[in-house]
Amino acid sequence: MIDLFMIKHIFLSGLMMLVVKAQTAVAPLPQQTATPTTTQYYQSVVRIEVSTQVSDYATPWNAGGFSGGIGTGFLIGPNKFLTNAHVISDAQRILITIYGSPQKYAAKVEFVAHDCDLAILSVEDFTPFEKLPIFSIGTAVPELESQVRVIGYPVGGDRISVTRGVVSRIDFQPYSHSRSDSHLVVQIDAAINPGNSGGPVLQENKVIGVAFQGLRKADNTGYIIPTPVINRFLKDIGDGKYDHYTELGISEFPLMNPAMREALHLPNDGIGVLIVAVTPTSCSDGLVKPGDVLVAIDGNQVDSSGSILIDGEKVNMHEIVERKFAGDKVALRLRRNEEWIDLNVELKVLPQAKMYSIKYEAKPRYIVFGGLVFQPLDTNLYATVQFTDISVRRLYADYVSKGLFQKHKDIVILTRIQEDEMTSQLPNYSGKALASINGTEVTSMDQANELLNPKEMPTHFVFEFIGVDRPLILPASSIGDANKRIQKAYSIKNLSNLSE
Amino acid sequence: MKYFSLLPFLLVISCEKPSPAPVATAPTPAPVAPIDPDQIKSSVVRVNSTQQVWNPGQPWEKGPAKSRRALAALVEGNLILTSAEMVTDATFLELESTDGTRHATAKVINVDYEANLTLLGLEDPEKDKTFFDGMKPLEISIAPDIGAKLDIVQVEENGRALLTSGTLQSAEVLSTFLPGQLFLTYQVKAAMQSSASSYCLPALSNGKLAGILSSYDSKDQICDVISTTLVSRFLTDSKNESYKGFPNLGVGVASTEDKAFREWLKIPETEGGLYITKVRKNSAADLAKMIKGDVMLAIDGMPIDRRGYYKDSQYGSLYWIQMVRGTKSSGDPLIIKILRDGKMIDVNVTLSRQEESTRLVPFYQFGKAPNFLVKGGMIFQELSRPLLEAYGEEWETRAPLNFLDVLGNPEAYQDKFDRVVCLTGVIPTPSTVGYESLRNLIISKVNGKPIRGMNELIDAFKKPPLGVASHSIEFLDEELVIYLDELTSDAVDKALLQRGLPILSRAE
Repeated sequence: MIDLFMIKHIFLSGLMMLVVKAQTAVAPLPQQTATPTTTQYYQSVVRIEVSTQVSDYATPWNAGGFSGGIGTGFLIGPNKFLTNAHVISDAQRILITIYGSPQKYAAKVEFVAHDCDLAILSVEDFTPFEKLPIFSIGTAVPELESQVRVIGYPVGGDRISVTRGVVSRIDFQPYSHSRSDSHLVVQIDAAINPGNSGGPVLQENKVIGVAFQGLRKADNTGYIIPTPVINRFLKDIGDGKYDHYTELGISEFPLMNPAMREALHLPNDGIGVLIVAVTPTSCSDGLVKPGDVLVAIDGNQVDSSGSILIDGEKVNMHEIVERKFAGDKVALRLRRNEEWIDLNVELKVLPQAKMYSIKYEAKPRYIVFGGLVFQPLDTNLYATVQFTDISVRRLYADYVSKGLFQKHKDIVILTRIQEDEMTSQLPNYSGKALASINGTEVTSMDQANELLNPKEMPTHFVFEFIGVDRPLILPASSIGDANKRIQKAYSIKNLSNLSE
Repeated sequence: MKYFSLLPFLLVISCEKPSPAPVATAPTPAPVAPIDPDQIKSSVVRVNSTQQVWNPGQPWEKGPAKSRRALAALVEGNLILTSAEMVTDATFLELESTDGTRHATAKVINVDYEANLTLLGLEDPEKDKTFFDGMKPLEISIAPDIGAKLDIVQVEENGRALLTSGTLQSAEVLSTFLPGQLFLTYQVKAAMQSSASSYCLPALSNGKLAGILSSYDSKDQICDVISTTLVSRFLTDSKNESYKGFPNLGVGVASTEDKAFREWLKIPETEGGLYITKVRKNSAADLAKMIKGDVMLAIDGMPIDRRGYYKDSQYGSLYWIQMVRGTKSSGDPLIIKILRDGKMIDVNVTLSRQEESTRLVPFYQFGKAPNFLVKGGMIFQELSRPLLEAYGEEWETRAPLNFLDVLGNPEAYQDKFDRVVCLTGVIPTPSTVGYESLRNLIISKVNGKPIRGMNELIDAFKKPPLGVASHSIEFLDEELVIYLDELTSDAVDKALLQRGLPILSRAE
């Protein structure tokens, strides 16, 4: 498994000294042959200083920790600085510095795409930047073995740094910032260090990528976001908002086995994959069915391993969807019951898929009720709490693929029980999923909140949890006092937050 | 030369408690024992056991062999009593006289893995008829009281017997071997010294057998000793034509200390009570119409407190299970006082026993080779706890979620399966092209036939439906049907046998 690390995370976690050593060996100075233009371009590579406030999902009522970091950005248009999303996520204050200048300029986020780790910043006053050259972004993916330069402000010094490397691999790889997305990545053999994030990667002063992540367990491996991903992001925000990547919502199984092909009455020609699942409510739902054989996508033949040929390269068939936007259509050719079916599927974003992405710039939702702390299941919580409960882990895994979101807007989890005279004898069901309150099935945080504040007070609140055979009981009449005690003892300003 | 080895003890302890650092305790002056140590040697024998577990990943073969030694008690009828742990998956059992002069091959006469006791006898009484010459079986003691002195018997490598006196500190209902199998166990405080390695040891009271020591914590100097009551019941029941084992009630329980919970259940303050969280289908409790939500207040007139303890006349506070498993047999009646909807009722229960073989996911399979089928390179196995444990120490979180779900919620699968058959792996062969990544899937149908266990699977694979050239395999909760070519997979099976697989299936 690939162990990718977030450049900023490394920076913030105080491991800076570890990487300094590796970094000092590199960074050759610009060569004598460098044209004045190259030096001028350096001025358009800016240092971004960010102070952040990161939400605390373990104690959701707390304000979160203050921290900060350094990243790189570069000018790609009038008052448009491109950088990584992870450089500016959860930012409270962003300051931009021009190479060689002590002046710091306040900046703000115009667009952020956490799924492909890119963001656009603007400064309040663009005047000092007006004369700086603007980088143009290429369209092609660099060739293997071709040389690239990485410019940025990595750890090890305050001034600009340039490293050279060659393109060593072009591949689909996870983007670690969101923890759930994979896109095209170019691997180079120049080290990308904390602070390099968001910096331009150049070939002859043209941007061919954005430096964004490295590999913890290997030396001299840096990953850059290539131009197809950058250009897609820039096109997406053309209408003034970022929409997110779309997906077909299908899972496929390779059709390489001769016996399987024969049983499905398919010729042994190495074409087609079997559809084994369609995500409910996705754009394929109701159109594509499990058991269909997908043979072509947008006119490209799909081979039995699920690959297509684009520009002479074999790539995963989902690459077609990668390059499209919500509202675009995809032509699918299917074999069903020995008949040909041609479909035009209109792509759409599946918002529920964000269940598996880390959320940024969000305030954790929670309810504290008589010492019981409820939080919705998401990846931020999943990354904070070690869930061992089988039911909770299954709910998380099946949330999108089995369409659980259709009924359950949220999976509500009892994350802890605050000790109090009312709760000290309660069984510890923290880490379990809430099934019902007073007999009513819980489907969302908002609805749970309503159930906890009914018009007519019952004598007891009865909580049932999934996979637990004994209910948890709270006496309704004592909850008000318990809330007051708990609020005071645990310094909880608000007993609930229901909006992110 | 003294043979310092505490290792076997530590091995036992590590199953239950955090294992203490091996401390070689300094020999203490032998306490004054009421019995002659040399005389006791004629009533104990060493047991050497070679144990071999079936390889969970490749169920057609056994894993590496390991050996265990124990000091066991000779009881009436030239039988040897030791712990069941000594004979789990045993391939060879040998008795050895304490002076090392006589050896004889042994066989298991009776074993109860739940109670952690086994009775051994000679494999060939004719051939080894002199083995027990001059030896004297131990009598069984009456159950010792709290505070009584117990003597732990050890025999050093040089043949010298050692008796360590300890005090019976408390009696508790706990498991000495299999998790969840709770029986009366003595906690004996004794400063034992390192001596000849031994997996378990006899414990005596006034020269009579009072229990089997199953583990020793050298840090706290506490021994777990399987109680006299359990030992004598096991010995008595072993004399019966068919050994039945110990009964179960078949319920899951939760304590009722929580005030709001008690209020809600309307339990009077004067009562204790255990909340019934689960009633196993067809168990004694189920047949007596006990249901989830009942509160169990008393068994045979003996009140149960909020944590589940009752007052035993001899040992004081003991966990309620002792009243079922410790004192009753299958078929015995029991009156259970329950609280249901605020009303107290008496329920008449006839105790029965949950046979391990009736469990959907067996907890243990000692001495039983795992069922499996290799077809065309696909490896099918029946889901069992040992199979799940093969996912490593953290199997409870690392094993596949769908398998863990079956283990945790067997009720949801019981209607469809007698045993859950899984695809556990795929050997790359000409018939499994494209299937190499498939694993951890539950089989629902093969060739259209529902699969309730390994026998059905083997049967279903015998022939594809008429006019079809390949076998179809369907999986539970997956919209995927895969196919194995009949002729190719048959050829692969032959090749696998040639490549050294001894058999391709087992269903017992």
